[in-house]
Amino acid sequence: MNVAAADPRVAIAVIVGVVLVALMVPPLWMLLQDSVTTTDAFGDVTGLTFQHFQKLLIEKRALSSLVNSLEFAAGSTVLSLVTGGALAWLVERTNAPLKVLAYLVAIISMGTPYVLHVIAWLFLLGKIGPLNDLWRQVTGETGVLFNVNSMPGMILIEGFLWSPLVFLLLGSTFRAANADMEEAARMSGASVLDTLRRISLPLAMPSLLALALFVFIRAIGGFEVPALVGMPGRIYVLTTDVYESTVTVPPDLGHAAAFSVVMVVIVAVLLAFYGRLSKNAERYHSITGKGYRPRPFDLGRGRWIAGGLIVLNFVVVLLLPLLTLAWMSLLPFLRSISLAGFASLTLKNYRAVLTAPGYIGLAMNSLIVAAGAATAIMAITSLAGWIAARNGPGGRILDQLATLSLVFPGICLGVAVMEVWLRVPLPVYGTLWIIGIAYVIRYMPFGMRYIYSGVLQLHRELEEAAGVAGAGTLTTLRRVVAPLLTPALVAGWLFIFLIANKELAIAVLLASPRSQVIAVAIFDQWVNGQGGELAAFGLIWTVLMTIIATVFFVFTRRGGVDVHGN
Amino acid sequence: MKAVLLALLLMLTHGARAAEPDPAMIEAARKEGSVVWYSTLIINQIVRPMVDAFEAKYPGIKVEYSRSSSSDVALKIVNEARARRVQSDLFDGSNTVFLLRDPRLVTAYAPKAAAAWPAELRSEDGTWTALNIFYWTAAYNTDLVKPEDAPKTYDDLLDPKWKGRIAWTYDLTPGGPPGFVHNILSTMGQEKGMAWLRRFAQNEPVTIPGAQRVVLDHVISGEYPLCVMILNYHAAISMKAGAPVRWLKMEPLLQTMGLVSITGNAPHPNAARLMVEFMLSEEGQKVLADNDYIPAHPGVPARIPELKPDAGGFRVNLVTPEMARDDTADWTAIYKDLFR
Repeated sequence: MNVAAADPRVAIAVIVGVVLVALMVPPLWMLLQDSVTTTDAFGDVTGLTFQHFQKLLIEKRALSSLVNSLEFAAGSTVLSLVTGGALAWLVERTNAPLKVLAYLVAIISMGTPYVLHVIAWLFLLGKIGPLNDLWRQVTGETGVLFNVNSMPGMILIEGFLWSPLVFLLLGSTFRAANADMEEAARMSGASVLDTLRRISLPLAMPSLLALALFVFIRAIGGFEVPALVGMPGRIYVLTTDVYESTVTVPPDLGHAAAFSVVMVVIVAVLLAFYGRLSKNAERYHSITGKGYRPRPFDLGRGRWIAGGLIVLNFVVVLLLPLLTLAWMSLLPFLRSISLAGFASLTLKNYRAVLTAPGYIGLAMNSLIVAAGAATAIMAITSLAGWIAARNGPGGRILDQLATLSLVFPGICLGVAVMEVWLRVPLPVYGTLWIIGIAYVIRYMPFGMRYIYSGVLQLHRELEEAAGVAGAGTLTTLRRVVAPLLTPALVAGWLFIFLIANKELAIAVLLASPRSQVIAVAIFDQWVNGQGGELAAFGLIWTVLMTIIATVFFVFTRRGGVDVHGN
Repeated sequence: MKAVLLALLLMLTHGARAAEPDPAMIEAARKEGSVVWYSTLIINQIVRPMVDAFEAKYPGIKVEYSRSSSSDVALKIVNEARARRVQSDLFDGSNTVFLLRDPRLVTAYAPKAAAAWPAELRSEDGTWTALNIFYWTAAYNTDLVKPEDAPKTYDDLLDPKWKGRIAWTYDLTPGGPPGFVHNILSTMGQEKGMAWLRRFAQNEPVTIPGAQRVVLDHVISGEYPLCVMILNYHAAISMKAGAPVRWLKMEPLLQTMGLVSITGNAPHPNAARLMVEFMLSEEGQKVLADNDYIPAHPGVPARIPELKPDAGGFRVNLVTPEMARDDTADWTAIYKDLFR
């Protein structure tokens, strides 16, 4: 900031800002417009209205839905932070065994299409699932031990869906944490738990808070789990009504748009609040110019308990759902796990999937779009996130711009992007490009969070040292910041690549005959209730994603070590 | 019997030759070279077989297609028309065309192939023609419910033993709870119907967040013993695969239709017409039947003939597209009021 007049960061901020504005603002404008207007059959605006906002307020059970929403979001945030966070700390900062299992869980469950996770969990914990089946057989009861269509069921499933993300994000935080302070604490006689409580956790606090806020916002705006899990149990949250309004005929997009606008405002307030917290973030920088590689804690005998926890996580979050999917994929029609079920096992679903024409084309399209979107996002956010985390010129605005799309319901974003890009005189609509653009908008906040937490870990003194040694801002970025950020960049890229391949609503809406992606096939099987084929297809897809992710992961881990000079 | 007579009649009045499209149209369609179909139907099960049959019959005309829900298809058509970048030539769907009440969005065309069909299967203004028929009814799991215990009439659904054990879809269309509400009100009368619905609500039917086919799968898997508003042919297909399920002739069954229309300002208007003619011809309708759909063509039987009312001996209550267009919102409001 001392050379503000000639600060090259201003130029970078302006360029990145223009790109972000061009991407994020037009869809938001469309959303605003949709939320306050009525239209005729041709889509022409016929008048201004506030009925969409009024409806949000007077909706039946508005208050109980709000309470449910808060409970759901808070519960799943806590669950994912506790499970994902504990795991990340054990894996990154201790000598617990079997760490590879934790990575396996994170990578594979992120490669599994979202809807498959939920289906597997619903079956596993459902009325006819093995859990309730076992309970009935042991006790002779006819009811259920655990009703999955309940608030605990919703929190459990949403929490497990987010815990791999928490694991990966906090993993990079803990990996980069300063070992000196922890070692000082240990040498002064503090126990492992004390060190964790007094040193490690406070150091990770900015990242933890950012992540908690992020998961909370996502969960409060989440549609799928409340709809799929809560609706049969008559548990309604704020989003369920909005979700319904997008699937009715005709879709009431005004209602959904009004809801999105409210959410955007709430998120803006939360982010501003968070911005004030992170002003003090300097205190937490722990990658300094000295002894960067932290040394792991020795847990002593406790390491086997830690190993047990890692195995438990592996079994619960990964193995059980995957086995459930395998069971579903081998049945001609879904039934509980029984002898009769075993007798009817068949490979029919796999045959159907592997012989259906066209899947290879769909798969290639999906991989290209997801990789393209992930690359574009990381390119933009690595600059925007760096400026924002350093409180650089316009940093707060860049952060808010990049995070704007966090709460758009998928279908609203899809419609807004379609409306915008149909008007742009470029041949984008009807090609893979428009899907790619929609992904970039939708997943920008994820890239931003990865980079932001990554930069918070880097002490400014590294950049200042580069400056003193005569490097300009660009050289510092290229030679110092970028290499140190590589793990965050890679993790973010991988995450976006994997979740973009799971997106359904946007891809199905924007796919044209010449730009079909794998989501279309998943949508087909899901709507058509071909659960067996969907499971078979999903497992094959998961294997493919896992191979890609593993290759990438191994490659970058090796690369990462070289960057650090070890 | 009636169907056979009708078929004979159709053959006499519109012999195979008369139903053939105009050669000039075929020629013009060839020049256009391709046609784009926005579908709501399942690609592997029906879109691709139909496209293959069409392309085999008319080499040189390539069919491109994509699939999404009725409302997605309508959204695309509206937005493309507004931007004057129309991509599609024809589209189908049970609910799509109601959303497109504007001549800039739909081209009127009365297909020759359906000229002799009953009036209820085609629109007066040429904006749509029925492509296939849906019959909505109840089904039960045969492992959990004995045939004699299965409900026979709508009143049987009020038995408290079904409390919390009847599943239905969350799909708020005439093929979901709104259509069910309509079926009850129109057969029992407004007052008695509302009283019946209130009592049914006390039995707490469970809303399954999924399409009707998914609801049926929940019954097959044993999660729920009974469901309403599922398609009879879906149950028949599963029965053939050995699933423990039977569909019920709970009269009247509700009838809705899948409709096909030509997009307004379609870039390939002749190919669009040719494709529509083909899909509605006996040949095209047989493709539907062969893939387990119920053809709209009165002379083409379903693969399992008993799935149609005449051969199956059941009464139906028809939801016309006009009713669906004008009244679905009211039916939905009643559903939301009573069942949520």
